Order: sequence, then structure tokens, then C-alpha cells
Amino acid sequence: MALPSRKRKAVTRDASSPTNSDSEDELEGGLLHEILSQSEDESILDSDDESGLESEGASEIEGGNGLEEEDEGELESDEVPSEGEDIREQIRNPNTVVQSSRVTHSQWQNGTARVNGSLQDSSNQDILDVETAVDDKALEDEEHKANYAVTTDANGNPRYIYKEIDPVYDSDDSDAPATTNTIGNIPLSFYDSYPHIGYDINGKRIMRPAKGEALDALLDSIDIPKGWTGLTDPATGRPLELTQEELEVLKKITLNETPGDGYDPYPDMVYYFSGKEEIMPLSAAPEPKRRFIPSKHEAKRVMKIVKAIREGRIQPYKTPEEEEGDPDIKTYDIWADEAPRPDHSMHIPAPKLPPPGYDESYHPPPEYLPDKDEIAAWEEADEEDREKAYLPTDHDALRKVPGYDTFVKEKFERCLDLYLAPRVRRNKLNIDPESLLPKLPNPDELKPFPTTCAAIFRGHVGRVRSVSVDPRGLFLASGGDDGFVRIWELVTGRQVWNAMISDDEAVDVVRWRPGKDAAVLAAAAGESIYLVVPFSIISPEMEQTSRDILDVGWGYAASKPSTTNGVSAESPAKWSRPGTRLEDKGVLVKTTVRSTVKVINWHRRGEYFATVSPRGQSSSVAIHTLSKHLTQLPFRRLKGIAQSAQFHPSKPIFFVATRNSIRSYDLAKQELLKVLQPGAKWISSFDVHPGGDNLIVGTYDKRLLWHDLDLSTKPYKTLRYHKEAIRAVRFHQGSLPLFADASDDGSLQIFHGKVVGDMMENATIVPLKVLRGHQVKSRLGVMDVDWHPREPWCVSAGADGTCRLWN
Amino acid sequence: MGRIKKKGTSGSAKNFITRTRAVKKLQISLPDFRRLCIFKGIYPREPRNKKKVSKSATPSTTFYYTKDIQYLFHEPLLNKFREHKSVAKKIGRALGRGEVGDASRLEKTLMPKITLDHIIKERYPTFVDALRDLDDALSMLFLFSNLPSTSAVPSKTIALCQRLCLEFEHYLIVSHSLRKSFLSIKGIYYQATIQGQDILWLVPYKFVQRVTGDIDFRIMGTFVEFYTTLLGFVNFRLYTSVGLVYPPKFSSSSDERGGELGAFTLEGRGVGPSQPAIEDSSAANSEKVQTITSSAAQAEADKIAALTAPEGETDDSAALVAGNEDENNDALDTFEVTAQDADILPQPQAGSAETSTLFASFTFYLSRETPRQPLEFLLKAFGCKRVGWDTVLGDGAFTNDESNPAITHQVVDRPALPLESLPALPDPSTSAQSTDGEVKPVALWPRATVPGRTYVQPQWVWDCINQAKLLRPDLYAPGATLPPHLSPWVKAKKGQYDPSIPLAEQEPEGEAEQFEDEEEIEAEGQDDEEMGSDAEKAVPKRNGKRNGMDALLDRSGEVEAGEGMDIAGTESDFSSEEEEEEVGEDWDGIHSEAASEIDEAEAARLQHQRELEAEAAGISVETLETNTPKSKAAEARKKAAKKRREEEEEKERLKMMLPQRKRKLFERMEYSNQKKDKEAELLRKKKRKVDKAKSVGRSSA
Repeated sequence: MALPSRKRKAVTRDASSPTNSDSEDELEGGLLHEILSQSEDESILDSDDESGLESEGASEIEGGNGLEEEDEGELESDEVPSEGEDIREQIRNPNTVVQSSRVTHSQWQNGTARVNGSLQDSSNQDILDVETAVDDKALEDEEHKANYAVTTDANGNPRYIYKEIDPVYDSDDSDAPATTNTIGNIPLSFYDSYPHIGYDINGKRIMRPAKGEALDALLDSIDIPKGWTGLTDPATGRPLELTQEELEVLKKITLNETPGDGYDPYPDMVYYFSGKEEIMPLSAAPEPKRRFIPSKHEAKRVMKIVKAIREGRIQPYKTPEEEEGDPDIKTYDIWADEAPRPDHSMHIPAPKLPPPGYDESYHPPPEYLPDKDEIAAWEEADEEDREKAYLPTDHDALRKVPGYDTFVKEKFERCLDLYLAPRVRRNKLNIDPESLLPKLPNPDELKPFPTTCAAIFRGHVGRVRSVSVDPRGLFLASGGDDGFVRIWELVTGRQVWNAMISDDEAVDVVRWRPGKDAAVLAAAAGESIYLVVPFSIISPEMEQTSRDILDVGWGYAASKPSTTNGVSAESPAKWSRPGTRLEDKGVLVKTTVRSTVKVINWHRRGEYFATVSPRGQSSSVAIHTLSKHLTQLPFRRLKGIAQSAQFHPSKPIFFVATRNSIRSYDLAKQELLKVLQPGAKWISSFDVHPGGDNLIVGTYDKRLLWHDLDLSTKPYKTLRYHKEAIRAVRFHQGSLPLFADASDDGSLQIFHGKVVGDMMENATIVPLKVLRGHQVKSRLGVMDVDWHPREPWCVSAGADGTCRLWN
Repeated sequence: MGRIKKKGTSGSAKNFITRTRAVKKLQISLPDFRRLCIFKGIYPREPRNKKKVSKSATPSTTFYYTKDIQYLFHEPLLNKFREHKSVAKKIGRALGRGEVGDASRLEKTLMPKITLDHIIKERYPTFVDALRDLDDALSMLFLFSNLPSTSAVPSKTIALCQRLCLEFEHYLIVSHSLRKSFLSIKGIYYQATIQGQDILWLVPYKFVQRVTGDIDFRIMGTFVEFYTTLLGFVNFRLYTSVGLVYPPKFSSSSDERGGELGAFTLEGRGVGPSQPAIEDSSAANSEKVQTITSSAAQAEADKIAALTAPEGETDDSAALVAGNEDENNDALDTFEVTAQDADILPQPQAGSAETSTLFASFTFYLSRETPRQPLEFLLKAFGCKRVGWDTVLGDGAFTNDESNPAITHQVVDRPALPLESLPALPDPSTSAQSTDGEVKPVALWPRATVPGRTYVQPQWVWDCINQAKLLRPDLYAPGATLPPHLSPWVKAKKGQYDPSIPLAEQEPEGEAEQFEDEEEIEAEGQDDEEMGSDAEKAVPKRNGKRNGMDALLDRSGEVEAGEGMDIAGTESDFSSEEEEEEVGEDWDGIHSEAASEIDEAEAARLQHQRELEAEAAGISVETLETNTPKSKAAEARKKAAKKRREEEEEKERLKMMLPQRKRKLFERMEYSNQKKDKEAELLRKKKRKVDKAKSVGRSSA
């Protein structure tokens, strides 16, 4: 392998730098520098070799050289000047070089000596190499010979006379680019598998330039000898090398040590006073006498001590005796005189640990053992998240019970708890949660209450504004937008009587007069109140009593006109007969007040009735006396707009509701009793419980309020179960604890409202039922509601033109 | 108008102090503060409003009462701590100079001795107060008496703990104040009642305790220091209260041989050896028990008395009994109601006198695999005077000879293995009589049983104690499946699961039926798989049983050998009984399997027959159907479910009427109740499953 590479190398080398070999011949001075530099290179290498020689021996070096050449054939091909080559050149023309360059004489000597050595010692192979190379050179030299002619100059030295240089392009090839690759427009990758990368203009191969690795390998291979400096010793002219000692000095200097050899920075201390006894004293003075007589001072002190001992002031030393017995063994009763002391009020004793449960047993009942999922969950859980610190385990014999792993840890944690955990007294609620629940009546006890629609009364055109069930519970009266007052049979829903009391105005309210002996219906349309005796549907006796009740007052107004209406020009109301058409029907009395009547409420005895006309201002509330056909205005001036008015069921008390308050007046004493503040914006209606102490109020702001008159002026309960305004509220007037409200959302709600006689217990209110059935027409739902006097039936008037009976 | 009050000068801001400030105020180091707090029993508090209390922006965690800290100022220990610190400095300096002699002298003379006596008195002004706080102390000391000595736990402390604990146990034995005990997985719980105070403590099993790195023994050591002082005083008081000398005589030689309880000798306080005084009273007690227990036990006890060749002691006791007969009768009389309409006043159950002499008439022998220490303590505390054990269990036994005829009960924790599997015994004739004529104990169990002796597993002792009566020992025979061991402290609560009463009594209506249904649905899915596996399992099971039976047969042969003696009424022949039982069971197994198949066929046939009859009689088949158990169950379940639903609805309705605040409270309370209910339900469900598995296993066996 070495052979071809060498050959190739030699060729390329020549081709690449043809002047290199020629230079010596051609340009003495000009190329001297180059030669010098080359020789310098050589010298370095030589010195290298020499140092090697010194230590190892020539043959080895040569071997090394040979090896180098063989190994790095490629490198050499890349024009790295190597000594072998130079040597060869020198061998080629030793004379010329010697003659031309004197400066490098010394090196030369070395070189030749070495070359000789190498020639002598190198292997056959090497010799062969060199010879072939020399042959090549010789051939090439012949080619170039034509360039100059050798003559002898004046001194007799050979003189080279060069031919004229033809100044053509590329003639000055010393600085021209050495090679130009002529591979053309071919990607370089085509040459990947070759050692060359193309061809130059002469058709010679251009070898691949050295890569980084190759250079590194070379540098690694050149090992710098130990003392190498790269300098030349000016005294000897030899390369300056450092000896081992010098190197050590250098090393010491770099380590900040004292460079000199044998220098001890910490020498042992030399004692100047050596303790060695000298024969001669320093002072020749004789020993003083006092050294030989006992000290009086000392004798004094000794006597003092002796005296003290004699007197017993100084006791002989006694070792402190060990305390008899173990201090850990208690020998007395600390509670011998115990006196109980009450604990400090803020002291919280540490809670005791709970006793173990069944699952902590070593052999628990099988149901306490965790199943697979529980075990997995326990193991997966974080130690702090576990409900129990242990996993119940079953051991069928006591001998199989292992030690508890975290015993010490548990006790340690208990210790921490005892001194580190803040203690808080927590009141534990140990009451049965059931006891918190209110004592509510059983739903069965709450029955009966209306649940279903039993009958629908159709006939009205437009809204039905008001309904009323007659005191005997047989008939239902209703009044609506069509101006008709109709009477229906309650159970069947059959219309038994009707009368149109107004052409243009709606019947706002109808109310039966209480009392079973007579059947008188009050209806209001516009400003007029009509009192009706529907004689066609009642018995003749009843008709008679009813007529009597209504007719008794006719003369009264006529007989005493001056006392009531004499002073004031206009009377609050005008009582008259409505006309024959209506009188035939049974409408017997017509009373006209100043403004539209919206509410009629009878006194429990049927003697009086109150009307409210909200727009009437001072005359908004009127109380009418039936027997006298007399109308009174109890309030000269009323605060707010009156909404409704009602008599107390048993006492002479009169309730008037304005928009946002309800006032109760004592009729006998003519004074204000109480002002209830329901907290509502606009009261629509209210009703008084038959007992008289409770009140329900319905408001347009969707609230139903229960007032206990004994409790406070504020509502006892506020119920908000409706989505729309509440139009009417009504207690059951019989014995049943029921009340109902009617709302614009088209539903009625039935509540249980039990009032207990004693003052200790508050009223019980239970929501019972939502009755739906009425349709909402133009945002109006149920207009009015009324209860049957005895049965748990209620009747509602709807804006959809129907009345419904619920039972 | 007064001056504007400065913030943080009154109220809770003044009442509480953070730990850092407390330490600064006391001018001691944090460890010293910790020790002081442990000794004095001062603990942090949780202020109602932390924001008002803390003066800095950073949230502090621990607050103490300022009064508590002020009270620490007057503590003499505080000065001791300071002295200790200065002496420690001196010693350190001396040691640093290499003056070891000086250092030891300083330590000897100057080091302050810390005593906690005054703190005990201060924290527990009365003896009862101390007893009330003894739970933790005992648990801790018993733990430390079982720990190995390390650098953190000096052997001196351990020895002290051991001594105190054994002394306390001796008191319990003498005073019969131990009440209950429980074997848990953590250790053994004991409960004693002293002067009306219930003291519950936990003793670990005798194993090396695992000590992890996060355990600070300095803290525990501080507690132990305090507790040893406390228990020392308590022991002194207890001993003197029953007329004993404190400290009891301690024989270190016996202790070295593992004497434990036996290393102590109690002495009466009177002149001369007053030991008999105690002996007498206990003997009297034992006599009393004899009168109480059944005639069989009486006969047995008489026999033992004859065997043990009674000394004068029994005579004395007999004489004393005669005198004590009416005196000791200070138990409550039962009041009988004479008239029907009277109220019945509850009366506490019979006193502890009977239970404290539960084992008085017996002689126990503990096999070497049983835990001697707890058994010895328990048996002695419940009146047993004679407890013997194997020599390997240590010194102080009544007898080490297993063949001692005085032994009535032997506690055994080894199952009876077949004889051939046991290693060969050295020839008893040579080993029994050694050269010096001493009779060496012969190990009998499990090679042979002594006729007339009851063999029980250790749990029997515990269960007897907890139930305050002698239980049937055959349930606890060696190798028998033990009944579950129940904690004596769990009080049965309404709605909670109680394993001691049958399931049917405590489950709500319809739950069982529901469970059945669920099971059925599950079973249908699994039926096919189980069929195969069951058949496979059955074969080896039977083989195993056969082997066990062989062993039993072998043993029973030996028993027969001794049958000549009259041991009527003893339980010794339970093994043969058991064997019979087992034979019967085995046979039954085969029979019942076949029988069940036959039964099913029979049932189907019967049903068909009934239908036919009904048709003939003109009754519709449906009405008949309803009577079948399945449909009945379904009906019951439906009814129960309906009822429950109705109740639920009703409750919902009532809840609607509650105000918001109350409703929330109600829900909270309901939550905890429901959690308990859930637990109980889960337990019932598991129980049912277990029962079912058992019954299936029995029928298939």
C-alpha cells in the first residue's frame, strides 16, 4: 500500500509545485527565504529527532519515520512538507543546496547525517522508496532542464542564465493559483468514492484536500519532546532545550513555590536555650540563707489552718454521700393533704382517646372486614385522608397477630396532640334532627280541602268580576263585565236568575247579605248599589222577610230629612227604587253614591254594609244602614286611597285598607285602634279571620301576608307563592281552617291556616293546594274567590268569563 | 368622652400571645419552652377570631393564653433550666480543654436535679384528678417498657417504666380493679376502674417496635419523664391505700430470669409478714366464687383442693369466710315490685366482686406459644392464684410441669396437628427423670391431652372477662374456628349495626328482601361460571377434611385410654364429640346436596299438584301464587319501599316549612346520621353476604 501512495504523492507534489524543486536552481535569492523557512521546518523536525535520538536511539527514530511515512501517505500527498521529502530533495542535489545556502549549513549537516543514518539503517523498503522517488525526480528534472543554461561567472562559480520569460498568461506561475479544477459542471459528490476531486488543466488528479480529522491526527502524532521550546540557543545555535531541572524550576514557579532546590520554608525551630546543663553557673553568688530557714509566713498560715481544724471550723473532706435510694421511687404521698380545686373555667382537659370498636379486633366479625375495593381505596388514599389509620384484619389465632407497625408513631402523634394541638371546646349538637321539624298536622288531618273543579258556570260575557255564595250555601251570585248579575245553583251550575242592572257599566261586586232568614244580594255597578231579592228562586216566606228588611227604611229617609241631609246640600247617597223593569226581577233598592263602588262588605248581622269607592276621596268609604236607608261617611278625610273595608266579625271594629296600610277603628269610641303595616306596595284585598285576631292581606305585588293582630303590626308570615298579583283573599267563614287567594296567574292557592285559641302558639300555616283551571285573559286570571259557608268548597270568578266551583 | 382606646391593648388581642412572643418573653430556648409546656400541661388555644389576635400581617399559627405564659414565669423549673444551661456551658468548656475530671466533677456537683413533684401536685390537686389523666400515661409507659434501649431511650428509663408498670399491674391484681380487656390489632387494651375512674390503656404486643425517622424521642422522653413521676406517686398512693409497702421488694435475679410480675414481692404494712392478709381476702373471694359457681365446678374445685394438699391457708380462709359472710354482702339488693302499677326504677347490675374472682378456682397452664405476660396478668387480676407456664416463658410460674395434675385449664394456641407430622420426642422414660432425680416437665400438648383438663385458646380468657362469666370452652377449643372477638366498649345504639344480635332483629323492613333480589340478579349472571368451579373445589376440600378427621380419630383413641377415670361433666371429650359431629356433617354434606335436588323436584311437583287442586276447587291460580314465598317477599318489599317513600315525602314537606337557617342545620345533622346509617347498612349487607356464603358452603359440603 505504501508504494503506490508514495508514487502518487511524488507525482502530485511535483505537479502542484513545480517551482519547488526548481527554485534552488532558478532563483537563488528569491527562493532563499522559502528554503530557509523549509529548513527551519526541518530544523524543528530535526531537533525533534535529535532529542529522540538522545533518549531512544536512531534506529527507533528511523523506524518511526518509516512508519510515519507509511501511515501518512495521504497527508504527505496533501503537501504537508515532511522531512523525508526534504531529505530526498537534498539527496538529489546536495551540492547545489550546500553551495547556495550557507545559512542553513548547520542544519544541513544534521540533515545529511541523519539521512545517512536513515539510509544506512532503514529497511529495504524504505530504500526502495527513496530510489523510486529519486528516479521520478530525475525524469522530471530533465523535462525542466531547457529552462536555463549553466555558465561560470567571474568567480568561477556556476551561473545560471535563464531564458527570457515569455510574458504570456500563466507564465508567472509562482503566484498563480496552483491548480484549477476542471471537472466542469459536475456535482462534487461524483468523486465521493475517489481519493481525488477532479483534474487540473494538465489532466492531473487533484487530490482531496485535508480534512479536519486528518490534521488533528497529524498534530496528535507529532509529540512534542519534553524540553522543547521552539527557540534556538543563541550560544550554540542548537535548538534550545530545557533540562529536567529547569523544567522543575518552571513547574515550581507556576505553582507559586520557591524555585530553589533544597529550600525549606518551615525549618525546625532552633532552641537557643537548650536546657543542657552547663558546668559553670552564670552567677557565682552564694545561695541566700533564706532558702535554708523555714518560712515564718508559711508557718503562720499553717498554724491558722491547724487552729481552724482544732476548733472544728474546717472539717475533713467527706465525699458527698449518694442520695439514699432511687429518686424515681416515690416515698411519700403527694396527695396526703389533697384539697380539691375547681378547674379553671378556661381549662379544657385533653380529650381521651376513644375506645376501640369492633373493627379493631384481632378477630372481628367477618362483616367488618374490608372487601377488595375497600382495601384498594384505603391503600390508594393518602395517609391523611384515610378515615381509619388501620385496616381491619382477621387473624384466626392470637399467635398469628403481628406487631402493629405504627404503634410508636401513633403514640408520638398523641404526644404532639397533647402539647401542640390547640384545644377548642365545640358544642356538639346531640339532638334528634327530627325535633327541629315543626309539628305539622298530618296531611290526613288537613283534609278536607278543595282539590278539583266540580262545576263550571258559563254564561257571562266578558270577565266575571265578583262571586258570592249565599249564606245557606245553595246559590252563587256573580257579576261581570256584561252588566248582568246572575244567580246559579251552586251544585249543578244551572243559572236560575239573572238581571241586567247596568247597560254600560260592569258589575264590580256582588255580595249576599249574611243571615239565613233572608236572601238579599247587594251588587254594585258603577256608582249604584242595588239590593236584590231574587224572589223567583226562594220560598215565599223568605221573600217576605227579605222584602221587609229592604222596605223598612223607605219612610225613614222621608220622615227625617232635615236631621241627616238638611245642612249639607247633597247627601252622600241617594236611595231610590230602580224602576219597574228591575223591580219585576226583584231588584228593589238602588243607592247611588258619588263614585264607582268597588267593594261591598256586609256587617255580620246584615244591618249594615260598607262600600268602598277608591276614587271617592273623602267619600270613598261609606257605611250604609239598611233599616234606615241611611248612608254615612265615617271618615272625613282618609290618608291614602281606600282599597277595601271590612267589619270585625265580632267586635265593633272597622278595618279600612289603604294602598299600603290597614287601619282598624273602634266604631263605638270613634277612634283609631291600630295601623298595620304589611309592607306591601299596593294592597288589593284583605280578609279577617272569623276569630277576629288574624288577617290575611293580598297585594298586587304578589304577596300574601298573614297578620296576627296580637303579635305585631308587621306580618307574621309573608308568603310569596304567586307569580302574578293577588286579587282576592278569603278565609273560610265556617269552621274549617282554610283560606284561599286568587291571583292573576290564573291559579288559586288553598292554605291551611289554623289559629289556636291560646296565645302561646302561633298560627300554623300549611300550603295545601294550587288550583288551576282559569285561563289568563289580557293578563287577568282569577278575579274573585269565595268559600261555601260550611263545606270545604270554594268558588272563583275568572277573567275568562266563567266561574268555577272547587271541591 | 374618654380617650380613644389604643388598638391591641384589651380583649382577645391581650389575652392571646403567639408562641414566638411567649418564648421571647420567658427568655428560654424553644426546646426548653416545649419541655416546660409538656410538664406544666400548657397547650395552645384557638382564638375565636385570629385576625383580632395576631398583631402581625403574617398569620401565626399557635396562640397561647397570656395568663398561661405569665403563670410559667413563677415556675421554679425555669430557673433550673437556666442553671442547667450555665452548667452545661461550663462542662462544655472543661471538656474542650480536655479536663475530663473537672467536667465530671461539675456534672456531679453543680448539675441541677429536676424534680417534677410540685408540678404533679399542681396539675392534679386531688388523687382522682391524677387517675383521670392516667390513660395516656399508662399507654406511654407500657410502650416504653417494651422498647429496646437506644441512645435516645436510655436503659434506665426503660427499667423505670417496666418497674412502674409491673407495680401498677400488681396493684390491679391485688385490688381486682381490672374490668375489661380487648385484643385488638394494635395491641391489648385494658380497662380498670379505680375509685370510680375508668382508665383505659393500650399495651403493644411483644414485638420490636418499628421506629421511623420522623419520631422525636426527645418529646416522648419529656412526656415519659413526667408520666413516670406521676405513676410513681399514683403507685405509692395506691399501694398505701390497700395497706401495702411501697416500693415492693424487687428481686433482680428473678427479673433477669424473666420473672416480670413474679419479680416483685408485695408486703403488708403491718408488723411481721402481713402477706397472708391479702392472701386471705383473695382466698375468701375464691371461696365465695365457689359457692356461686355451679355444682360441677364445685366438685371439680374440691378435687383440685384435695390434689394440691391444702396447707393451713385454706383453713384460715374457711374460718374467715364464716366471719365475712354477712360483712361482704354489701351488694345491692334487688327490689321486687309488689304492685302492678308501680314504676320500675333501674338498678345497676351485680357488682364486680363476682367477676373479679372469675378464675379463682382454676389452675392455669400456659403453653409456650401463648403470650405469657398479658395472660398471667389477666388471670391473676381475675382471681386465679395458680398460673403455670412453660420454662421458656420465664421465671415465676406456679408450675413448669405441664403434667401437673392440679392444672385444670391449659391455654393453647397451637392447632392439633396429626401425630405423625410432629417431631419425634426423646424417650420420656429417660428424659423425665434426670440424674439428680428432678422431674423434668414433660411437654404433652399436642401429643396428648390430660384427662379432666380443659384446653382453650387464649381468646377464651378475654371473652370470659368481658362477658363476666365462664363461656363454653368447646367453642374455643384448640384448632376450632373462634367466635369473633368483640370490643366490650361499643354500646349498641339504635339504628347502628350490632354484631352480637341476629340480623333479623335489627334490619329495617324490606332490606333483606331487597338484598335477596339483588343477589338473585347477580347470581343469575354468575351461575354458569360457578357451576364449574364449585365442582373443582369440592374435591380437594373433602380430602382435606378427611385428613383432619384422621388426626382426630388418632387423638380420640388416646383420650379413650384415660377414659377410665371418672371425669363426668368435663369437657375433655369434646374432641370425640366434635369428631362425631364432623362425621355427621360430612355425611350430611353429601346427603343434603342430593336432598336439595330432590327437594326442588318435590317442590315443583307439589306446586303443580296444588294448582290442579285449586282448579278443581274453582279458586283462581293467581290467588294461590301470591302465597308462594317469593311473591310474598316481593310484596313485603314493595310495601316497605312504599312506606319509606311516603316517609321521605312527608319529611320533605316538613322541611319546606323550616326557615333557611334551621333547614341547613337540619341537613347537617341529617348528613351525619345518614353517614352512620350507611355504615350500618353496609355492615348488614356484608353480614348477609357472609351468611349466605356460609349457608351455601354448608349445603354444598
